[in-house]
Amino acid sequence: MKHTITRKEDLNAADYVIDVIAPKVAKKFRPGNFAVLITVPNGERIPMSIERAEGDKITMYIKRLGKTSRELDTWNVGDALYKVIGPMGTPPPLKKYGTVVFASDLVCGHAENNAMCRELSKIMGNHIISIQSFPDKSQIYPENELAKSVADEFILCTEDGSVGRKGHYLDIMQELLEERRIDQVFAGGGIPPLQKLSILTKKYNVPVYTTVRQIMVDATGMCGSCRVFIDGEQKLACIDGPMFDGHKVDWEAAISRLAMFKGKEAEAMQCYNEKMKAVV
Amino acid sequence: MAIRERVPMREQDPEVRITNFLSVPLGYSAEEAVEEAKRCLQCKVPLCETGCPVRMSVKDIIKLIVDEDFEEAFFLSKQDNAVPAMTGRVCPQEDQCEGKCVLDKTGQPINIGKLFAFVADWARENDLLDETAPKENGKKVAIVGSGPASITCAVDLRKLGCQVTIFEALHMAGGVLQYGIPAFRLPRDVVDYELSYLEKIGVDIQLNQVVGQNVDFEELKKDYDAIYLATGAGAPRFLNCEGEKLKGVYSANEFLIRVNLMNAYQFPNWDTPIICGDKVGVIGCGNVAMDSARCAKRLGAKEVYILYRRTKQCAPARAEEIHHAEEEGIIFKEMISPCRIFGNEDGWVTGIEMIKTEFKGIDKSGRPRPVNIEGAEFILEVDTIINALGTTPNRLFLSNVPELNTYSWGGIKVDDNFMTNIPGVFAGGDALSGGSTVIAAMGNGRDAAESINKYLNE
Repeated sequence: MKHTITRKEDLNAADYVIDVIAPKVAKKFRPGNFAVLITVPNGERIPMSIERAEGDKITMYIKRLGKTSRELDTWNVGDALYKVIGPMGTPPPLKKYGTVVFASDLVCGHAENNAMCRELSKIMGNHIISIQSFPDKSQIYPENELAKSVADEFILCTEDGSVGRKGHYLDIMQELLEERRIDQVFAGGGIPPLQKLSILTKKYNVPVYTTVRQIMVDATGMCGSCRVFIDGEQKLACIDGPMFDGHKVDWEAAISRLAMFKGKEAEAMQCYNEKMKAVV
Repeated sequence: MAIRERVPMREQDPEVRITNFLSVPLGYSAEEAVEEAKRCLQCKVPLCETGCPVRMSVKDIIKLIVDEDFEEAFFLSKQDNAVPAMTGRVCPQEDQCEGKCVLDKTGQPINIGKLFAFVADWARENDLLDETAPKENGKKVAIVGSGPASITCAVDLRKLGCQVTIFEALHMAGGVLQYGIPAFRLPRDVVDYELSYLEKIGVDIQLNQVVGQNVDFEELKKDYDAIYLATGAGAPRFLNCEGEKLKGVYSANEFLIRVNLMNAYQFPNWDTPIICGDKVGVIGCGNVAMDSARCAKRLGAKEVYILYRRTKQCAPARAEEIHHAEEEGIIFKEMISPCRIFGNEDGWVTGIEMIKTEFKGIDKSGRPRPVNIEGAEFILEVDTIINALGTTPNRLFLSNVPELNTYSWGGIKVDDNFMTNIPGVFAGGDALSGGSTVIAAMGNGRDAAESINKYLNE
């Protein structure tokens, strides 16, 4: 199977979107699933959120962050990824919740936001509110890459107020929870805000599903690297998640474990930069 | 007549080999192999063969080596064993063929494992491959997983003329042979070569296929006449003690997958990293514990401890592995059991609290039962912990096939013919036993192939 890139566009200065041929992943994908990418034969197996699946293609939002995402960024339409595996993970129930909010503040979270809102809005009885949070005006995504068209209400916010509402999604959530009846919250993106959101929703007794991003190796339940602790019980983000009841997640452990390879990630980046310099 | 001693196996010097991932044994030369084979008494009743889970023709193969007919020796070993170069290296021969060898009483049984590895290596170097095309019988069998049980079952069924498709979840075939056993015990070129045989005889290996996730089990049932589930025991066990969430705590599976499957020891040329500290504690004393400890040493750890609640005489690890580990400076700390793991404020491991044990009575496994000695706790400073406590069957596949009957611990239930509660669906390997040896799984794959063939012809 050739996993050819059929579209690659910038979302903002840091993030980009790619469409990749992956028929089996596309056919079985449900929001809450993720894909595993191996870009090159000596590459890592990296988990990646899926923004949508259409026909034989999947769409992914990627941040230029580490070695793999930057290397992939040098590729063009027509180039092919080494492997695309999935869909992996266990989605939360995709059902009628009533009034649902999906909040996101980072690349993978925005992809999950779009996918989940699109799916849940198809279910009768759901009223979908999507909140997408960006640092400032220069970093917001093009309109067709936002959840605007798939949500009943769409709230764009920027931390500096340069466009949309001022504040982080946490500020908007605080208001919503204060003013309205919310039946279910979903959220994805940065981990520390997810912890705060979990505390906030708990205060208002509103259930929340959060994407607990962790480091994975095989992503098939074999290594235990992505272990998360749910009410003290060990679960694996790759097969039991990655969406979990935020009220039960041991966030301190999740935040700490996610940083385990920071030093190595920097080393890989440096090595890649040197290689690129040598090429030039 | 005096019994001649075993022809010694040349090995990489311990000081040198802890700096690389190359094979520890260097293998017999043709002359050495013939010399060793000549020690065989060619017993009328070859007990060695009764010890082989796949029932290889040990006696005749050794005779062919004596006659220097390595080609025939290879084809004869291939008849019963799809991957003789691998089993020659990783079988616990001391408990099987070599353990039954009459010369074992002298302490010098024939080195059957190394002889068979020699024959298979010789064939590889001479590009010899048994590629007899089988006569198609029109039956289609799907095999889930590509480890030792699957390989054997696939080859046996293919030879009978079945069209065999293997579905493997990972991006490389071989299961534990690929992700579990390090290259210094099982070189990668050996694995690749023996697996290439499957494709040569027409077994279709589909990688990245996670049955239940992107391949429907229901579709498999419709599309194939029989299914063999050999999904292995891939899920790690943890201690479930305090501190297990700390950074620097690995399951042996994670540690070995990073090193073996993902080549983390070649980081940053390979992208997957590994962090191995200076002082490593490996909990457990099986072959996986030895593999983890020896990998840690090669990754540059200064002190590597095996932490075991019994003594190494009761350990499940092979004698050869323990011997090699000791040669490499692995420190065995026996009669101690873990209590909890400590960390610093950044969330990294700094130590482990252990408690001394003593033996009281005998447990279900027939080994002395270790019990904690009250008040005998102490702290061992370590910065990396590797849990090698065994594994359980992979939950991912099982959770996707809820109609399959399993035991509470996750093992798949089968009848005497290895058939599950679903007609036409068979199971084997570690998915039944929850963790065994490569060769036991292969024996299992062979028996299942027989049952499947019978079922297909009913």
